[in-house]
Amino acid sequence: MRARARRSVPLFSIAALTLTGSTLADTKINFVRDVRPLFEAHCYDCHGPEKQKSGFRLDVKAAALKGGDNHGPDILPGKAQQSPLIHFVTTDQEDEIMPPRGAPLSAKEIAILTAWINEGAVWPDGVDRTVLKNTRDHWSFKPLSPTESPTPGSPDGFIEAALAERGLTMSPPADRVAWLRRVCFDLIGLPPTPEQVEAFVKDSRDDAFERIVDHLLASPRYGERWAQHWLDVVRYADTHGFEVNTERPNAWPYRDYVIRAFNDDIPYDQFIREQIAGDAYGKDAATGFLVTASVLLPAQIGKDAASKRLARQDSLDEIVMNIGQTFLGLSIGCARCHDHKFDPIRAEDYYAMQAFVAGVEYADRDLRTPEAEAARAEAARLTARQAEIDRTLIALVPPADSGAERPIVSTGENADRFAPEKIALSGLSPDEAERVASLLREKTANETKIKMANRAGKVFAGRFREPDKIHLLNRGDPEQPRDLVDPAILSAFGDISFPQETPEQKRRLLLADWIASPDNPLTARVMVNRIWQGHFGAGIVPTPSDFGNNGVPPSHPELLDWLAAEFIRSGWSVKHMHRLIVLSRTYRQRAAHHPDGAAKDADVRLLWRYPLRRLEAESIRDSMLAVSGRLNLKMYGVGYNLFAQRGGLSGFDPVESFTGEGLRRMIYAHKVRRETAAVFGAFDCPDAGQSAAVRRESTTPIQALNLFNSRFTLDQCEAFAERVVTEVGDDPRRQIARAYEIAFNRLPDAEELRECEPVVRDHGLATLCRALFNSNEFLFVP
Amino acid sequence: MTPQAEHLSPAGRLLLDRRRFLANSSTALGSVALASLLGRDQLLATGPDDPLIDAAKPYAARRGHFPAKAKNVIVIFCAGGVSQLETWDYKPELIQWDDKPLPGGPAVTFQGPAGNLARPQYSFRQRGETGKWVSEMLPHLAELTDEIAFVHSLTSKSNTHGPAENFLSTGSVLDGFPSLGAWTTYALGSESRDLPSYVAIPDPRGVPQNGSNNWGPGFLPATFQGTTMSSKSPLRHLSAPGVSGASDRAARSLLQRINARHLEAHPGDSKLAARIASYELAGRMQLSMPGVSDLDSEPTSIRKMYGVDDSSNPNKAAFAKNCILARRLIEKGVRFVQLFNGAYASGGKLNWDGHSELKKQYDVHAGILDQPAAALIRDLKQRGLLEETLVVWCTEFGRMPFFQKGARGRDHNPDGFTCWMTGAGVRRGVSHGETDPLGQKAVKDIHPLYDFNATILHLLGLDHERLTFEHNGIERRLTNVEGHVIREILSWAGGREGQERNA
Repeated sequence: MRARARRSVPLFSIAALTLTGSTLADTKINFVRDVRPLFEAHCYDCHGPEKQKSGFRLDVKAAALKGGDNHGPDILPGKAQQSPLIHFVTTDQEDEIMPPRGAPLSAKEIAILTAWINEGAVWPDGVDRTVLKNTRDHWSFKPLSPTESPTPGSPDGFIEAALAERGLTMSPPADRVAWLRRVCFDLIGLPPTPEQVEAFVKDSRDDAFERIVDHLLASPRYGERWAQHWLDVVRYADTHGFEVNTERPNAWPYRDYVIRAFNDDIPYDQFIREQIAGDAYGKDAATGFLVTASVLLPAQIGKDAASKRLARQDSLDEIVMNIGQTFLGLSIGCARCHDHKFDPIRAEDYYAMQAFVAGVEYADRDLRTPEAEAARAEAARLTARQAEIDRTLIALVPPADSGAERPIVSTGENADRFAPEKIALSGLSPDEAERVASLLREKTANETKIKMANRAGKVFAGRFREPDKIHLLNRGDPEQPRDLVDPAILSAFGDISFPQETPEQKRRLLLADWIASPDNPLTARVMVNRIWQGHFGAGIVPTPSDFGNNGVPPSHPELLDWLAAEFIRSGWSVKHMHRLIVLSRTYRQRAAHHPDGAAKDADVRLLWRYPLRRLEAESIRDSMLAVSGRLNLKMYGVGYNLFAQRGGLSGFDPVESFTGEGLRRMIYAHKVRRETAAVFGAFDCPDAGQSAAVRRESTTPIQALNLFNSRFTLDQCEAFAERVVTEVGDDPRRQIARAYEIAFNRLPDAEELRECEPVVRDHGLATLCRALFNSNEFLFVP
Repeated sequence: MTPQAEHLSPAGRLLLDRRRFLANSSTALGSVALASLLGRDQLLATGPDDPLIDAAKPYAARRGHFPAKAKNVIVIFCAGGVSQLETWDYKPELIQWDDKPLPGGPAVTFQGPAGNLARPQYSFRQRGETGKWVSEMLPHLAELTDEIAFVHSLTSKSNTHGPAENFLSTGSVLDGFPSLGAWTTYALGSESRDLPSYVAIPDPRGVPQNGSNNWGPGFLPATFQGTTMSSKSPLRHLSAPGVSGASDRAARSLLQRINARHLEAHPGDSKLAARIASYELAGRMQLSMPGVSDLDSEPTSIRKMYGVDDSSNPNKAAFAKNCILARRLIEKGVRFVQLFNGAYASGGKLNWDGHSELKKQYDVHAGILDQPAAALIRDLKQRGLLEETLVVWCTEFGRMPFFQKGARGRDHNPDGFTCWMTGAGVRRGVSHGETDPLGQKAVKDIHPLYDFNATILHLLGLDHERLTFEHNGIERRLTNVEGHVIREILSWAGGREGQERNA
């Protein structure tokens, strides 16, 4: 059985109150007539329908009799003297008296309350003006109840039905080029080439659209695009965060794992299992998920024990928040200090979740891939070789009594002491001197190789050890531990707990089993909603990481359940969901605005058109490079630098001009937490501090300055111009046509040609390119 | 007005007008009124008390929840943890206890073993009409105590710089939450039509300990993040390097025509019009920024007052320039200016983190902070700007009454430290709250930094409990679920007015 912490009831000793006067002597106290008005006048400002300070409310019977966060029931029927409520209105302790401001209760009022409690605190049912919602009775906590789509095999019927209810219909289909451009940006984050456009427009086969989608989903670029969505949610970064924000050099294998997982269409249930317990599946990098958050390094944590306990709690909290938000769409973290205000998650539930991951340390772990094993073997071999070199050197370097100078040799330190220039070679023959020099060179080279080899074998994916004993913490304070807590799933979903003896890895496997189950009502719904959001900009549930009572209900509940069921039926195939969505008529609609739709559904939640969206930061940068012809498609591995200097006094000094590795896709940039990229950060790039389940889409003048004036843009303008000249030669009209084809996937009309021609003649083709890169046509998904 | 315009909101009509304007106009960008767009269509209001932000004008000035005492804010942020015991919190008993162990004191604090108690490292004397005891370390600021409301009893939730600066700036010890300045501009927009609404000015010696998290937008739209600039390094990307004026104009003009044509083909989409408008504002920033940061126009008397030309102390001179820049930004209507004093972790050499050689290092830091900061307050006052500007002096935590073992410096202390404010709406010459006789812990009128932040919002006409933003299922606030306005430091009865939205 799981231990459920009991709240202790403080005992108050208060002076007995004497009831005086005849007003109360004969009549029994009536709650509605006598007591509630008094609560209303003095208490409801802080403990009523709007606010529940200390988790206490006095306007609803069940809640009032249960008590607040800090102690047991405030009202003990029949025992006024022991009831904290009476204590709080009568105490002379300045910091305890209620109400804290304004006039205290009068003697008569106190007498009424006292009498009411002593008479049994009779609070009739049905008199409350507010009915507390049963927070467990919530749509997303109930099993899926899928219905067949009105248009079998497609989501369209659900969309059309909801539109029809509002007197709307779908917009006509977009033209083929717009659809192609749209689906390319959505699935791979890059625009189609003019050649792809031409081929598609000419492709009259029935399955032309399906072929495009299959082609895009098979492209390695797909994983690079969709992994970014996932990394946003789990707030992945290559630095540790907080003030030092130092490099987390072995984090990137997790980023690569996510890219591969999307490209390989790893079944989503397995994707979950691997990220929580990948060490049990030979997927070491996957558990990088557990430790994506900011963390204080040991040197940053106070040396006193309380600081260490708090830091440990904070780092466990981040893991629980990540699991709750990412997979379940629940803000479990809210229950760290008190029961969740809106959802059936109690503080006990929160700590029971912590207990699943209480053996996770934020640290590197040895990878167990063949490459990593080989790297470790190589490191061991080189280390042995270093010792051999040392022995040879000691033998060769003249002994101390020879009169020749020699550095002090200590076996532990000689790597540092044998600086080549310090070696006295005077006592050596030329051959010996050469031998020493050669050995020293080898030694220096080996040091670098050992460092690299050691690195190659590691991943920042958590280190696992004996789990901490997790206690319920009063008000989340590590200095106020209460009862020991067993690992247990959220009580609202069943009474399943596991004993303290459950080994570390087993705990995580059990947690993963519960989350990745087709019977978990949240898991599939949350993920299909994220996929839908990736295609339409907003989810069916527009609060993608909150499916709880405080989240926004689904605009199309039947569609959501149908998608979730289809997801499970397909073996949790994410690519299957993409196909369903992007091949739908809903997705193929034109993006054009019309007044009728806007008047009835301004936010386009009902999808009477395809909602226009600005490209995300990464897609803008990647697309500029694709268009300029400089995109470096190298995949995986250590990230490239967006900053010439990282941290320290001058902060993060941005790289202005990029070459080579710096022209890779932005997902391969070394992601510095909290420090947004100099040019593209302003385009709402998440800072990896907290989870970003939705990209904001703001428009600011800083974006305009960055995109119009930055060295990066000017470099790409030059490169784009060179590319066009190489492809079509010196005729400005052909150049303009080609530039439009590449950037916009269309040819310019006559008027556009006329406008552009003098610009190109007088100021060069790069000037035209600068305008194209900054244009709305380039920056919006059509 | 065209027929379909009737269906549009006022914002939509404005944008439609702009579309016609752009289609017909040949004037340069920069001549049209500011408009820009947020991450949400229509109004950025999800709850009854959220700011009513016209999506087309996110920077437009907005009214708060009730009438504001302060229109603008300058925050002087001293990074590293300024010792309350060497500055504002006079503890004469420490002199008797000098070099004696603290009975029952902690054996180990943040950085390691605790040493003996240590007397204040500067002498104190009384100042002004209030007779406030202030140390000799800050002679210029000490002259202003009659203007200032001190809070001596602040506490932080962390004794580590990063989380503690997060807590001061964002109300959360974790990374990723919006900064006070971001909340403020989210709520109130800006009075300036051609400058960023929120500017962060790093110390000339380097960025503060916690870097951009002190001015980040967290999960608010990027629109509300602080823009960094200083007298040394102007706004980034103000102009295109190596591009001729003629080529620049040609690119702008062509961009304008391409976008106007695209908008004609996509009528009614405010996002497109907003992006066009953002280039107009950018153009205006390019024109107005150089003027704001040109300090040569300041008269000699002012330069002297701030210490701009102190060639013996270049860091002070540079900080003085930053102080003048702060005033000029406020004069132009910028809503929120953060002025950093103190850079990155450096063993206390470059910020207020005096672990080992506190006196020696504080002599240097005080020499940089004191005269320019005092001049800024005096200058604001003589221009009448202190009537509408709130000036806040703050630091992430204080320091211990004892030295660290084997060192002549004090360790981090989040349990009782001092910050202060002056200016609009602040009661003058008041000292609120107390630490114990040795200055280790707040004991009277204890205020977590939540309360300090709640008070700043209150002075700006904002109820910290009603200023919210939904993020991942939680209506987030600067003050989490905590916070009480410190009414004792308000200049007016300050009580319960403004319960109703004033819009």
